[in-house]
Amino acid sequence: MLKILLEKELRDIIYSTKFAITFAAAAVLVLLSFYVGIRNYQESIHEYENAKTTNAANIAAQTDWRQIQDRVFRKPQPLEILVNGVTNDVGRTTDMKSSGELNLINSRFSADPLFAVFRFLDLNFVFVIVFSLFAILFGYDAINGEKEAGTLKLVFSNRVSRASFILSKLLGSVLALGVPLLVPLLIGCLMLLGFGIPMSGLEWVRLGMVIVAGLLCFGVFLTLSIMISAMVARSSVSFLLSLVVWIFSVLIIPKGSVLLASQIASVPSIDAVETQKRKFSADQRQKWLEVTQQWFSSRMKSSASFSDSGFVNSMAAFQDSMQKVSEDARAEFYSRLDEDWRNKKDWQERWAFGISRVSPTAIFQIAAMNIAGTDVGMKFRYMQQLSRYREAFAETMRKKTGSSADYFRIVIRRFSGGQNDQEEKQKQLNPSEIPEFVEQPRGLGDTIAASLFDMGLLVILNAVFFGGAFAAFLKFDLR
Amino acid sequence: MDQPNILEAQKLTKVYEDGLCALDHVSFSVKAGEIFCLLGDNGAGKTTTINLFLGFLNPTEGIPFINGIDVTKDPLAAKQHVAYLSDVVMLYPNFTARQNLDFFARLGGKNNLKREDYYNVLRQVGLQEKAFEQRLKGFSKGMRQKVGLAITIVKEAPAIILDEPTSGLDPKAANEFLAILHKLRAQGRAILISTHDIFRAKEISDTVGIMSEGKLLAVKTKAELEHENLEKLYLDYIQGKVAA
Ligand SMILES: Nc1ncnc2c1ncn2[C@@H]1O[C@H](COP(=O)(O)OP(=O)(O)O)[C@@H](O)[C@H]1O
Ligand SMILES: [Mg+2]
Repeated sequence: MLKILLEKELRDIIYSTKFAITFAAAAVLVLLSFYVGIRNYQESIHEYENAKTTNAANIAAQTDWRQIQDRVFRKPQPLEILVNGVTNDVGRTTDMKSSGELNLINSRFSADPLFAVFRFLDLNFVFVIVFSLFAILFGYDAINGEKEAGTLKLVFSNRVSRASFILSKLLGSVLALGVPLLVPLLIGCLMLLGFGIPMSGLEWVRLGMVIVAGLLCFGVFLTLSIMISAMVARSSVSFLLSLVVWIFSVLIIPKGSVLLASQIASVPSIDAVETQKRKFSADQRQKWLEVTQQWFSSRMKSSASFSDSGFVNSMAAFQDSMQKVSEDARAEFYSRLDEDWRNKKDWQERWAFGISRVSPTAIFQIAAMNIAGTDVGMKFRYMQQLSRYREAFAETMRKKTGSSADYFRIVIRRFSGGQNDQEEKQKQLNPSEIPEFVEQPRGLGDTIAASLFDMGLLVILNAVFFGGAFAAFLKFDLR
Repeated sequence: MDQPNILEAQKLTKVYEDGLCALDHVSFSVKAGEIFCLLGDNGAGKTTTINLFLGFLNPTEGIPFINGIDVTKDPLAAKQHVAYLSDVVMLYPNFTARQNLDFFARLGGKNNLKREDYYNVLRQVGLQEKAFEQRLKGFSKGMRQKVGLAITIVKEAPAIILDEPTSGLDPKAANEFLAILHKLRAQGRAILISTHDIFRAKEISDTVGIMSEGKLLAVKTKAELEHENLEKLYLDYIQGKVAA
C-alpha cells in the first residue's frame, strides 16, 4: 500500500505545472549563484594577483629595506564566494609592519559599492530564500488540499491506514522535491570543475557539508508546512500560516535577534575603542619624543659627531630598546582593549545567535558560514594568523635593516649618509626575500566542531516536524 | 427479495461536538441488487450517514455494517467491500483519466489491470475516447464525475455509496449516469445514493428513505410509490403533516 501511495505522491508532484515552473526557477537560481560565484572568484583572484604583483614591483623598485611599504592581501577562497557570510565586509589589505597595530582595509563592499547592491545572490541566499519557499509552496496544501479535492475521502474509502498515507506524503514530498534539487547543485559543482576553480579535497568536503545543511533546512520547511497542512482544515489558511512562519524565519527573527541582543548585551562602539587607542598612541609618541630629545641633548653635551659610526650604532641601539618598550606597552594596552571588546562582542553575538536559532534558516546560515569559514569569527582568525606571520616578517626586517624600529627609520637614514648607504642604493631589492603569507584554512575537525551543534539542530527539527506531521494527521478530520 | 443485507444502519446516531444532533436513531438496510435513495434537504444528515459507513466519523450510538462487518470495529476490513464516490470529485488534476483510475484501482486491491481494462471501464461510463489520456485539469464536472464513477466500478465491491452523484450534472450526463447505475444493480450490487432531487430519487431507486433533520421519516418501496405522489409525500413528511 505504501508503495502505491508513494508512487502516486511522486507522480502527482512531478507531473504538476507548479513543479515544472518552480523547479525551473530554483534550478536557474542555483546555477546562477554558482556562475556568479565563479565569476566573482575569478575576478577577485585576478585582483588579488594584480595587487600582489604591484606590491612586489613596488618593493623591487626600492633599494633600501628601510623604505619598503609591504602589503599583505587576503587571498579569496572559493567557498567564501558560494557562502559570502561576512567575507565582503572584511578588509582584504593590510599594511605590514614590524610593530604597531595591524589593520584590514579595503573590503569588497567599500571598494565596489555596486557589488554590495547585488550581494544577495550566493548559494546561501538560494538555500535560505528559494529552497524554503519551494518547500512551503508544495507543503502547505499537502494534506488539506487533498481534503478539499475530495481525494482524501476517496483514498480512505479503501483499505488504507493513516500511518501509511502520511508516511508516503512525507517521504514522497522529500524525494520528489529534494532529489531534483540535487541535480542543479551537482551541475553547479561540475561548473566549479569546468571553470577550473582550485578546490582542495577539504573544500569539496566543506561544500558537501553546506549542501547537506541546505537540504536539511529545506527538509525542515517541507515537514513543517506539511505539519501545518495537517493541522488546519483549509489550505488558504495553512498557506497564510506557512507564509507567516517563513517571513518570521527569514526576515524578522534574524534581524530581531540582533536588535534584541544589542539591548541585552551592550558593546562599546568600535569608534570608542579606536579613540582610546589613538589617545594612547599619541601619548606614547609624545613620551617617545621627550625621551629622544633628552637622549640627544645628553649626547650633544658630550659633543660627539653625528656622522661618527659609534653614534649611529648607539642611536640604533637606543631606538631598538625604546621601540621594544613602547611596542610592548602598546601591544599590551591594545590587546587588553581588544580582548575586552571582543569578550563583550562575543557575549552579544552569543545572545544574537542564540535567539536567532528560533529560525531554521538562521540555524542553516550559522552552520553554513561556520563550514565555509565566513562566520563572524573570520576576521579574528585571519588577524591571528596575520599576527603570527608578522613575527616572521619582523625577523626578516630586523636582519635586513638592523633595526626593528618603524618610527625612526627615516631619521636614521638622514643621519647616516655614509659609504654603506651609497652601495646599497645600487642594489635592487628582491621582494621574495620577504616570507610569503599563506592563510591556513580551518581543518576538517574544527569545521565539524564549529557546525556540529547547528547541523544537529537541523536534524532534530526535521525529526520533530516529521513526527509532528505524523501525529497531526492521525487526528486529522478526513471529511 | 431474499437477498442478504449488504449495507445496514442500526440506530445510527450522531451528536457533533457542538451538541448538534445530526442523526437520530436512523435504521435501514440495502440488499444486493437494490438501489436505496436517501432523500432529504441540505443538512438533513445524508452525508453524516455516509461518513459513518466509511468510518470517517464514529457514531455516538448505533452501528453501521458493511457486508456484515461492524465498521466501528474493523473499518479497514469493512472498506474492502465498499466503493465510494464523494460529493466533491476533483480527483488528481495532474493525472490523466487513466492514471486516476489506475491509482484508485490499485488502492482498491486491483493490481493486475492493464491499460485496455481501464479503457473498457472508461468506455462503460461514457467518457469520450480522446479524454482517456488527458489530464483531468481541463475536464468538466460531468467528465470528472464519469471518471469518479469508473473508479467506483473498477473496485468491483458488493456495496456502492454515492454522495449526491447527480448534482451539477446536465440532464444528458445525469441520464447516462442513471443508466450505468441500473447496470450495476443488475450485477447485484447494493447501492446507497444520497440526493435532494425528488424526481431522480423516484426515477432510479427501488427504495426511498425520506430524511429530515437527522431523522429517517419514512421508507417507501417502488411498489408503494407507484400510487403516490412522492413530491407531495416528501413535503408532507418534512412539514410534519404525516406522522412518521
Ligand atoms: N463537523 C460538524 N460539526 C458540527 N455540525 C456538523 C458537522 N458536519 C455537519 N454538521 C451538521 O450536521 C447536519 C447534517 O449535515 P450533513 O450530513 O452534511 O447533511 P446533508 O449531507 O444531508 O446535506 C447539518 O446541520 C450540518 O450543519
Ligand atoms: Mg451532503
